[in-house]
Amino acid sequence: MTKKHMGQKLKNRLSNGFIYAILIVVSVIWLFPFFCLVCESFRCESSHQVGYILPRQWGFDNYINLFTKTAFLTWYKNTFIIAVFVSVIQTLMVLTMSYTLSRLRFKGRKGLMNIMLVLGMFPGFITMIVLYKILSGMGLTGANSVPGLILVYTASSAMGYYVSKGFFDTVSRSLDEAARIDGATRFQVLTKIIMPLSKPIIIYTILTAFMGPWGDFMFAKYIAHNTTSGMNVAVGLQNLISTPSSLTANYTMFCAGGVLVAVPITILFMSLQRYYVEGVTGGAVKG
Amino acid sequence: MARVKLTNVKKIYDNKVVAVQDFNLDIADKEFVVFVGPSGCGKSTTLRMVAGLEEISEGTIEIDDVVVNDLQPKDRDISMVFQNYALYPHLTVFENIAFPLRLRKVPQEEVFEKVAEAAEILGITEYLNRKPRALSGGQRQRVAIGRAMVRHPKVFLMDEPLSNLDAKLRNQMRAEIILLRKRIDTTFIYVTHDQTEAMTLGDRIVIMKDGYIMQVGTPDEVFDHPDNLFVAEFIGAPKMNTFKADLVFEDGEYYVKAFGAKILVDGEKGEQLKKQQTKPQEIILGVRPEHIVLAKENEGIKCTVRVNEMMGSEIHLHTVTDDETNLIVRVPTIGLTQKQRNDLQAGHVFNITFQGKVMHLFDVETENNLLK
Amino acid sequence: MTEYKGKHMNLFKDLSDLDYLRLNKLQALIYDLFKAIRAIPKWFLNIFVSVVKYIRKFFTYIKEEFVDIYTTFIYGDWKTRISFFVMGFGSIARGQVLRGLLFLIFEVVFIVYMCFGGLHWLSKFRTLGDTYATTVYDPDLDTYVRVDGDDSFKIMLYSLLTIIFIISFIWTWRINVRQNRIMEDILKSGKKIRTPKEDMQSLLDDQFHKTLLAVPLTGIMAFTVFPIIFMILVAFTNYDAAHDGYSNLFTWVGMTNFNALFSMNVGSDNLSFAFGEILSWTLIWAFFATFTNYFLGMFVAIMINKKGIKLKKLWRGILVLTSAVPQFVSLLYISKMFANNGLANGLLMELGFIKDISQLIRFWGVTDIARAMVIIVNVWIGIPYAMLICTGILMNIPKDLYESSQIDGASVFQQYTRITLPYMLFVTGPYLLTSFIGNINNFNVIYLLTGGGPGNPALLTSGGGAGDTDLLITWLFNLTTGAESKYYLAAVIGIMIFVVVSSISVVVYNIMPSTRNEEDYS
Repeated sequence: MTKKHMGQKLKNRLSNGFIYAILIVVSVIWLFPFFCLVCESFRCESSHQVGYILPRQWGFDNYINLFTKTAFLTWYKNTFIIAVFVSVIQTLMVLTMSYTLSRLRFKGRKGLMNIMLVLGMFPGFITMIVLYKILSGMGLTGANSVPGLILVYTASSAMGYYVSKGFFDTVSRSLDEAARIDGATRFQVLTKIIMPLSKPIIIYTILTAFMGPWGDFMFAKYIAHNTTSGMNVAVGLQNLISTPSSLTANYTMFCAGGVLVAVPITILFMSLQRYYVEGVTGGAVKG
Repeated sequence: MARVKLTNVKKIYDNKVVAVQDFNLDIADKEFVVFVGPSGCGKSTTLRMVAGLEEISEGTIEIDDVVVNDLQPKDRDISMVFQNYALYPHLTVFENIAFPLRLRKVPQEEVFEKVAEAAEILGITEYLNRKPRALSGGQRQRVAIGRAMVRHPKVFLMDEPLSNLDAKLRNQMRAEIILLRKRIDTTFIYVTHDQTEAMTLGDRIVIMKDGYIMQVGTPDEVFDHPDNLFVAEFIGAPKMNTFKADLVFEDGEYYVKAFGAKILVDGEKGEQLKKQQTKPQEIILGVRPEHIVLAKENEGIKCTVRVNEMMGSEIHLHTVTDDETNLIVRVPTIGLTQKQRNDLQAGHVFNITFQGKVMHLFDVETENNLLK
Repeated sequence: MTEYKGKHMNLFKDLSDLDYLRLNKLQALIYDLFKAIRAIPKWFLNIFVSVVKYIRKFFTYIKEEFVDIYTTFIYGDWKTRISFFVMGFGSIARGQVLRGLLFLIFEVVFIVYMCFGGLHWLSKFRTLGDTYATTVYDPDLDTYVRVDGDDSFKIMLYSLLTIIFIISFIWTWRINVRQNRIMEDILKSGKKIRTPKEDMQSLLDDQFHKTLLAVPLTGIMAFTVFPIIFMILVAFTNYDAAHDGYSNLFTWVGMTNFNALFSMNVGSDNLSFAFGEILSWTLIWAFFATFTNYFLGMFVAIMINKKGIKLKKLWRGILVLTSAVPQFVSLLYISKMFANNGLANGLLMELGFIKDISQLIRFWGVTDIARAMVIIVNVWIGIPYAMLICTGILMNIPKDLYESSQIDGASVFQQYTRITLPYMLFVTGPYLLTSFIGNINNFNVIYLLTGGGPGNPALLTSGGGAGDTDLLITWLFNLTTGAESKYYLAAVIGIMIFVVVSSISVVVYNIMPSTRNEEDYS
């Protein structure tokens, strides 16, 4: 009996050890590129790609060059402004849409949801051809890409209501009913009951909306249309290394740019990770 | 003053399902009315129409002679207690109870007074600063009641308020609601699926089935004079025994023949049958388990015990007659010797009978009570 | 019972539940398959029936509308009748001045617009312009100056806007008529018409949805619905860089573009070949990208969730970190890392696995390696998200399922295959579908890693230089941004993506067991 018990324990310990081994390998693989990225960003002896990781000469040259020789600051500013506006507007759009679809019952609700489902099956990019023409007619492309991109990102953002609707659906409807009997209008139900209860999903929505513009490439590239001053960081940094010759000249500078973008976003993200996890695990499946 | 009057109220859902059929009821001021019935009978829907949470498809609902069909819930001066309490999780108990007052912009001083008073009555003063999730089910239900009573509504609606509580707590809360009702003294509409709650709480009981009202009456009326087979079987526990029998008329008296026995319908019921000149026919006979008594050997109806349920103060015997009809018999233990108790085990055969005055006679076709 | 070996199994008849349970696994599979096949005609019939039903419903709706308009006019009073021509008159006459004025202003704007622009654009919509831009000699400036002709793009744009305007006018007119009828009914029954103040209040209460949806829906109309309709129209034109509408008109070409996509001719300019190649890779990619992520993510989640594993938060945090870093940073960096002269090859050379330059691994240069690489890198990108999803669900699986199966004698592996996996698949069905569709349109991973390469000589002319890892979406992007700017082709591909995505969704939704009911959660 005891022998068997010991065997069980040993087996368990072995399998746990095995799992730890895998997890460590996985962690190394996942962190390795970032480790390399950071190292290469501090490399001073050469600006092209090399076959080793640790720089032979450490320094801030790449960072300094990034600000003095390229329009990195402009790109950064552009992206930040876009991200702030998008996170505010998109959050409002998404939350009103999902609240309405989750809580209010009105004629055409199902139809509206079906139409949005169908619209979502078109690749978003095909709208760009005509939108680009219209926006450029309004002077919102090229150097003025920032307001143009804000419009493009936010205007139809309400179509991404699924996750937060999934969350709202889990808030018991009898709370609405109780509040309405207690004397609240629907507007008061929203502000006094639903909003305070929805803090996780609101933060999740703000966070994802804020992070979206930092990673977008497709729309930003099309709208900026090779105008340096209208690019966001993604397009600008990609532009730095888009040709073989520029890659040789700017590679380490690109790494430095990558670090400058990744670090604040990662810190923000990790500090709000709890809400992100809650949103993904809660809303995504139900959505 | 709050009289609630429902006239020809109907609820038809979008998918053409009729949830409530032609509901007529006049609820007097300060009356306690209970809607009772099995799930899906339309009782909650009716209540929610009174509350304004469901649209009224047809008919009118009046509160104090004002048609409220198009009024929002907040304008009807009603309050409601929900089955799952519906407490606002992000607010403290105090703020939960104060919520309706805050929406009405009642001055802080008065809010405090009223909440404190309600909390005092319900005995939840010490929890005022907690969040609902830190409370037990019974305490939550008290908070919900407090929130409903704090603004002294005209009509107090309760939708299965005790269903989520365990049996012991339910009995306790039931008693408290009776006391509470004396204090608040307003019109109550109470929905439940539990006939005990209905019987103990209601001034009048509305028994519903499939959207129709089966009977409206005081607890005594629905127990003693069920209008139809459904009410007869629904009210009372264990449920009434019902079986086919024959009503015969011999020598100027009505008799019921069942299982070979012939029982005189005497007293009021016999008189009534005579007055109505009911014609002899096949009937459904209903006899409550507690009205069945032991008969002498070779008399009455022979039954075999299948299951013996010892409840303490009484024994419920699930028996079967010779023609395979199930009968439940309720035997008080107080008059039985230990030997008699021991005898009443499965397989035991004994004879039973019942008196004519306790019988309920129903039409086979319509299932309505033969006595009008 | 044991003699029953399915000899009597008739594949064309339904078995009773008990008989079905007697089948062994293979028989059950065959039976299910036949049953599904037998159901197909019925399925199509159902679709057909419901389409017919919808069409009939639509026409009865139209009919009812006309009848209603007619009776409103015949039985209405003079205020109502005048409203048929002067919108809002009835509202003004009955005291709802603000609402009436809005109607009236809308009508005036509409008429003015139609006279001074709308009709002009509409008249050119059929041809998309016939006057070419020319240059004439200007004696004053002593040079040739451009004389603008028609602009096809503008004609199409404004015509479409005009059509939408007309539709909304008809709709508003209908509302105006209905309003009159409602007001008459209210007045007849002796009630009062809502005051403007009550109207405004109802927008925060029983009409709250209108208030809330106004802005989001306007945005969706302007930035999604309208452009999509426009692009569907473009698919039937020859709009590209050579026919940009301004310097050279473009015009309707009917089904030509679609025919080219589906033509069976073998030729150098064979679009259907390129489309077939790219579509099949897109589907292969989406399949692998979705399921590798899903299963590996689940695997990692199960490992981290296992009882007795410490530092759960740390392991999860490390993985989630990768979703925090903007994709373009990580993807571009990895792309360069595996370049011919990148870090990977450099390290291999440093460590002596590669002797000289001829042995360099061309990660992005060989079709099969590049395709495998994008899938592998996508695993790196996608596992954290899949892991989070799976973690959430794993924690929701009732513990007693495991306890009861343990008592029934199930091994760890059996617990996984009999409990965890079925449960996960059941709950995550919708997630898998969205993720599959997301991967069909996964622009970032492909464009930033390979840019579509390695180039495929076979697709050089036919596919406009598309490469072996190009997805439909990156192809579409390149066609739009490239020198030739084949907008018409991009539009056609966009429509094809829609067709692919929607048919997959329809099929999956029909076979998915978890038919979700949104009310279940409330």
